Amino acid sequence: MIRLRNVSKRYRTQAGFKTVLDDVSLEFPVGASVGILGLNGAGKSTLIRIIGGAEPPDSGQVECDQRVSWPLGYAGGFQGTLTARENARFVARIYGESPRYVEAFTQEFSELGEYFDEPLKSYSAGMQGRFAFSVSLACDFEYYLVDEALETGDARYREKFRMAFEERRANASVILVSHNEQTIRRNCDMAAILNEGSLVLYEDLKEALREYNILQNRPR
Amino acid sequence: MSANLSAPIEAAPPGRVRPRPSPAVVLGALAVQCRVLNALVLRETKTRYGNHKIGFLWALIEPAVSVAVFVAIFSVARQDSPGGMPLVPFMIVGFCAFAVFRDPWNQMQGAIGQSRQLLTFPQVTTFDVILARGLLEIAVSVFVFWFLLYLAWLLGYEVRVEQPLRLLAVLGLMATFGVGMGFIFASIEPIVPSIKQVSSAAFGRPLYFGSGLFFNAESLPPQALDFLIYNPVLHLIELARSAFFHGFESGVASWFYAISWSLGTFGAGLLVHQAMRRRALMSR
Repeated sequence: MIRLRNVSKRYRTQAGFKTVLDDVSLEFPVGASVGILGLNGAGKSTLIRIIGGAEPPDSGQVECDQRVSWPLGYAGGFQGTLTARENARFVARIYGESPRYVEAFTQEFSELGEYFDEPLKSYSAGMQGRFAFSVSLACDFEYYLVDEALETGDARYREKFRMAFEERRANASVILVSHNEQTIRRNCDMAAILNEGSLVLYEDLKEALREYNILQNRPR
Repeated sequence: MSANLSAPIEAAPPGRVRPRPSPAVVLGALAVQCRVLNALVLRETKTRYGNHKIGFLWALIEPAVSVAVFVAIFSVARQDSPGGMPLVPFMIVGFCAFAVFRDPWNQMQGAIGQSRQLLTFPQVTTFDVILARGLLEIAVSVFVFWFLLYLAWLLGYEVRVEQPLRLLAVLGLMATFGVGMGFIFASIEPIVPSIKQVSSAAFGRPLYFGSGLFFNAESLPPQALDFLIYNPVLHLIELARSAFFHGFESGVASWFYAISWSLGTFGAGLLVHQAMRRRALMSR
């Protein structure tokens, strides 16, 4: 269970304060995968970082009693000067998994070949994404937080990853931020829309997408 | 569950709700803390000493050269051995004991900025990334101390530690002091990046020259001693030499003064970190 209680967050920008979350309370239903929809700059990434505990909210709490992944994006969380192997071992250690297993799984699954022993900063964005997802699959999470980056790598690899993820979803859920309706439709059971500081959950995915379309087409 | 939801929650601090502390919870949190520190220290070792072949060698060369230079200067000046202590071990104790204080402090300073990526992981906190660096530097500087003494012994100098436990206690105070300084500066650095220069110009340099690395306090002119006696690091170095050398007992160093400063700075470091950590985390 992941539950937000009166969570508020705002940023100081040049133009003054920007409110990303305004007293948001929401419970993510157990076992359901939820997509987060929102216009550019609505704060989707901030929301997922707050859920993942990477960033503290200004007020309010995030409650969770499950193993939640870190927010998976491209390179977030990894040390560019270290190799994929070293980064994989680091992740295994902090999550209390066997470094050897995580290292072997990641090497196999990411198909990075000899790049596995090169510093991460020499990777293309696609390769970094491949690495990040492979490591996260090696760890046994109950909730995967995904920031935008499922559409990574070439088509064949994407398919492979999607299959593995599908399999995992039998006992794990995902909270997924994406602009891509396809991605959300394929991976999520329901969706929430983040707009102007409020987060509204729609249990019916179709309805959420309809609302989101209206929002997108609304003149600004 | 629903009753729980409607309960008033004003008292809870913002952030993730932590379960009520019970022995099991505390032990669990402690296990995570140890895991994270272990992973971070291993990672730091890689980034700091692993990428360049010369990395760890440099940690040895730097103090060795300092000791050699000052030994050379003092031999040429044909000064009597300071306070009756043999010159080479005298310098090694001065420079290496100082390093146990300075190196953690130096390396901890940039910890938050340089580990920003890792803070994405919820169990990795600013406290962890700062402390991990300090722990690594303490280990390395103590090892370097031992290694230089060993080297001196191989070269035929007489090396015998008079009171090893007392020496360890002094090194512990040095490390505590350095870690305290490290926490203070590491917590401020993300918000005021120029603090690094201030730290080196206003503290690092004067302490290097004014802490008795290459002189003993009682050889100073009284006017200088009146002033330098307020420097707690001078006390610590004098105490280190008193523990190390047979027949030398510093007449000016005070355990009470040294311990007060070490523990006080350590406490201040934790307080500053506690006060600044949210802002430090949010600064880019």
